[in-house]
Amino acid sequence: MVDGQRLTHTTAMILQAIGAGYIYGYTVMEVTGLPSGTVYPALRRLDRDQLIRSQWEHQSIADEALRPARKYYKLTRSGQAALDASRKRYPLLAKLTPIEEVEDA
Amino acid sequence: MRSEWLQCTILRAASILVPSDQRAEWLHGWQSELWYITRRGATLFCLGAFRDALWLRRNSVSPVKRSRIRLESPLNCLAFLTTGAAMSVFIALRLPTPHLTPPLHLRAGDLTADYIATLMLSFAYLLALRMAIGRAAANPQPVSWRGRLRLWIFLGLKIALVQPIMFCGLAVMLVIGPVVPVAPHLGVVAIWFLTLRWIFTDQQRRCPLCLRLAIDPVRIGTPSQTFLGWYGSESMCPRGHGLLHVSEMSASYSENPHWLYLDNSWRSLFVGSAGRRQS
Repeated sequence: MVDGQRLTHTTAMILQAIGAGYIYGYTVMEVTGLPSGTVYPALRRLDRDQLIRSQWEHQSIADEALRPARKYYKLTRSGQAALDASRKRYPLLAKLTPIEEVEDA
Repeated sequence: MRSEWLQCTILRAASILVPSDQRAEWLHGWQSELWYITRRGATLFCLGAFRDALWLRRNSVSPVKRSRIRLESPLNCLAFLTTGAAMSVFIALRLPTPHLTPPLHLRAGDLTADYIATLMLSFAYLLALRMAIGRAAANPQPVSWRGRLRLWIFLGLKIALVQPIMFCGLAVMLVIGPVVPVAPHLGVVAIWFLTLRWIFTDQQRRCPLCLRLAIDPVRIGTPSQTFLGWYGSESMCPRGHGLLHVSEMSASYSENPHWLYLDNSWRSLFVGSAGRRQS
């Protein structure tokens, strides 16, 4: 089980972004303001530690939208638990609003 | 996908660092992401690929390909360096001396003084490096004086044999100096430090008893939840004399590489693997 207290702020921010609905690398980068050299290795590490799960989009969906397939990320149960613990440690994470609220605004 | 050659070149260059079995998917992933990036930030975005590729290289669980040059055995290592030294002397003697008209070739006598100078510098540098790193923790099973002498002789031979190789690099740099002005200085410094660093790390990774290179490194410890990665790695002596622990996070694991000696009761586990390796 992951000890949420040990997550760095950057890791927690990335988890929060994914939890908020920014589910592929580019949007995580955009919403957190972190560079690609930080976000992508972090996503890999979180995937390895089973805090998130990654999955490639079906090629047919990407072809229909005339764009390359995306790799989507989703929080796992332990990822959600780690995020909940991190929110207590880093209250400012709440400022990173879920994607629905951004779209509604 | 965008067709900007610069971004594609950066990604392809970074992909060299990625383990070969994951390279295609890695490149595909980065190229897909690049499609969404605006033109202005694309190059900066692609530069981040190097860090990702390095992370993947460091943390890959796929088996590491064995090098074709086997330097595990101390004799093989010395034979390899001797061949390299001989080739380097041959090349250095055939190179024209720079800034002389008509260009002359170096003579064997000219090399001796330079050889002694670089040898002294190398010893001084390695001594300084050893002092900067500090002494390793007290060894619970100290190596005998014969073993220590063998270690020092091996180190001395390695330092002596890399001098012609470094000197050859210097000579090549001086020859290409007029063509690429900054390259010689950078090149000489890089060759110098990389070669000596290799000597130092190679020495640290050899079994103090049989001088064989520790093999089959495995990551140890729980992957950290910080950005600092693994705690360290553990390699084993092919003859079963011990295990080498190398720290990746010196602050939380161990300052210097250290050996965990295994007594004779472990030896039977290694007999088979040593035999397979030699075959």
